[in-house]
Amino acid sequence: MSVKPVFIRGVGAMTPLGATWASSFAALAAGRSAIAPIRAFDASQFPCQVAAEIAGFSNTVDRRLLFTRAAAQEAWAQTGVELESLKPQRLGVFIGAESGRAPFAILQALTRAAGGTAQFDHLQFGQQARQFAAQLDATLMSPAAVTSALAGDYAAQGPAVTLSLACASGASAIAEAARAIRLGQCDWALCGGVGADVDPLMLAGFGRLAALSAQGVSCPFDRQRDGFVVGEGAAILVLAREAGNAKVELIGDGRSLDAYQLTAPDPAGAGAERALVAALRMAGVTAVDYIQAHGTSTLLNDAVEALMLQRVFGRKLDRAHLSSIKGALGHAIAGAGALGCLAAYSAIAQGQILATANLKDPDPRCQLPHVMGAAITQPVTLALVNAFAFGGANCCLILRAC
Amino acid sequence: MSLPVYVTAATVLCAGADSWRGLAARIAAGAVLSPSTQLQASHGLVWAAEIKDIPAKWDVEPRMRKWMSYPARLAAMVLNQLCHESNWSSEQRAAAALFLGVGASGCPISELTQMLKASIQQQQFELTRFGGAGLAACSPLLAFQLMNNFSLCHGAILTGLAGPNSAFFSRGTGTVAALAEAYWLVASGQSELAIAGGADSALHPVTWSQLVRDSWVACGLVPGEGAAVLALSPERQRALARLERVQFASALAIQSGLTEFLAAFGPVDPQRDWLVLAPWGPPARQLLASFSHTFAAERQVDISAALAETLAAAPALAVAVALDLLASRAQRVWVASAGIDGGVGLVLLSAG
Repeated sequence: MSVKPVFIRGVGAMTPLGATWASSFAALAAGRSAIAPIRAFDASQFPCQVAAEIAGFSNTVDRRLLFTRAAAQEAWAQTGVELESLKPQRLGVFIGAESGRAPFAILQALTRAAGGTAQFDHLQFGQQARQFAAQLDATLMSPAAVTSALAGDYAAQGPAVTLSLACASGASAIAEAARAIRLGQCDWALCGGVGADVDPLMLAGFGRLAALSAQGVSCPFDRQRDGFVVGEGAAILVLAREAGNAKVELIGDGRSLDAYQLTAPDPAGAGAERALVAALRMAGVTAVDYIQAHGTSTLLNDAVEALMLQRVFGRKLDRAHLSSIKGALGHAIAGAGALGCLAAYSAIAQGQILATANLKDPDPRCQLPHVMGAAITQPVTLALVNAFAFGGANCCLILRAC
Repeated sequence: MSLPVYVTAATVLCAGADSWRGLAARIAAGAVLSPSTQLQASHGLVWAAEIKDIPAKWDVEPRMRKWMSYPARLAAMVLNQLCHESNWSSEQRAAAALFLGVGASGCPISELTQMLKASIQQQQFELTRFGGAGLAACSPLLAFQLMNNFSLCHGAILTGLAGPNSAFFSRGTGTVAALAEAYWLVASGQSELAIAGGADSALHPVTWSQLVRDSWVACGLVPGEGAAVLALSPERQRALARLERVQFASALAIQSGLTEFLAAFGPVDPQRDWLVLAPWGPPARQLLASFSHTFAAERQVDISAALAETLAAAPALAVAVALDLLASRAQRVWVASAGIDGGVGLVLLSAG
């Protein structure tokens, strides 16, 4: 079975390696890494002191929105289409995002209020908590704020949807947008994902899970990997019903839930396999040339992803290449799948496959056709993007050269 | 391909009700408000439509409960109950799609208290201590309490629902988007079973503080909470109702013409049709007024009148009320919802 393709008419991103996808991709292809000691706050006592941060933006504004707007601007410019030529009702917006975070100043003000005496004063904290919470602008913290703002920027009156699926948010938003176009609910869609989680509370949360790299290194599939490194960034695609000048089309997607355990993926990768098989079936293909893996640099995810890919593709895996951009960009959580999609897009559009940064000694349990060391030049017709989330949501996308 | 879509099962949990049957009468009886226990410490006396009695057999194990945000717990309970009542096989559950409208997740305030207490030294908050002692003082699964998708994932883990899925966040139409997604999956023949709904609570201290700050309370908004999930299928034999159509539009789209959006559904029969309203507060109710005036006053139910403001759960609870009306006296029910961000959702159901 194959379905009508949906065309990628423009791509854009803001990452720690560049203010555009063009500059980010060039930096990635040149082997640069965005992972460095955290500058936004004193992380010296945190379980992981490094991250992939985007410099030049204050933490008192909604970084998600800044990143997404920049990405959308680049993506739309690529289409060469005048916005005014579109019927507003036929343009939809589909964004994967999590909640914005309380600015540091509010967090510190709250704790000053709670720490006004020698002892932590629960009553005072409780009373002050109300004030603290009232300073949080729900419209800015809401995941839907990014979608709403983008819809306003582009006067989009078609479907406006926000997906909060953790690491599968961005990829799922792209799948959702493609579905809407195929169903005739819109003709154009701005879609993608954004993450801005280099934040004390989220680093504390991920650190408490023991999911972050204590070594401060993101090395997907490497024998020495010990956890992920948080990154931030946004990636936006413009999808359309008509091909126009598109070089790449979206031909399949699959989504599933592990429904397994809270703290670990299904060790057999059955949930992820269901998503991949569904995507391949929709695309009407059984093999791909390139895989942009989810590859987070965690012990569990990488091994399960490798096992699943081996099982689904078998010997066909030998003809493919695989990499994960998280080695260089860290894990942008809700933005990750969309950024991965852009790497797959460029592999097809430019015939350049990125290497997995910091992958030097592949884990024997992760026997995959890794691209290591340097990017390679290789024609790519079909590409797969994997996005597997905390909590067990899985999303796979299949892209093809037009 | 467009198959008929039927609602074949539904589960509800809200203030004063744990079944969709009789929900219309429950709402007609008026609000049963009580002083909120969840808001007492932070806000003192707040009258709310708070769930007081969770059926014991519904609730998740205490061990699992502490890993969940409260909306996630509500979602898990209704999903578990839905699966239990529907008696689906493990294969059916594994293939079933699941789409939920979710609100802001959040850890219990006590969790934040513990973290902050451990982060304070010499009466000063120290970020370095936050990263060390503060972190050690909090739940290992704090991140999962903060992330919105876990309102969906906890329920999936508990029930084995493992098919296509999305957690739609919205301050208005996310739950209707979830219902629309499920509808299209079944109507297109891609799925034989799709579950959709919403779960949320306005009774988290941070959520309520924001609603107060944004003057919603001054507008008359009363906090509530709840969860409702519906099973959609092309099988008529177990139908509670037929889901005719689902659509939603953003505030921006509505600005150019609410009438046009509503008219796309076709004419209302004021002699026959019922309307269930799920407005997020008085401004949303005002937005829907032009539509509600089309219906006879005695054929309208506003769920917020009794259930108060249930945020992301509201549209799903409203559909559950529609099921009750269709089971007892109605032939066709329109469900209109409007959210804080001004988005509008419309669902049309008919007797199965």
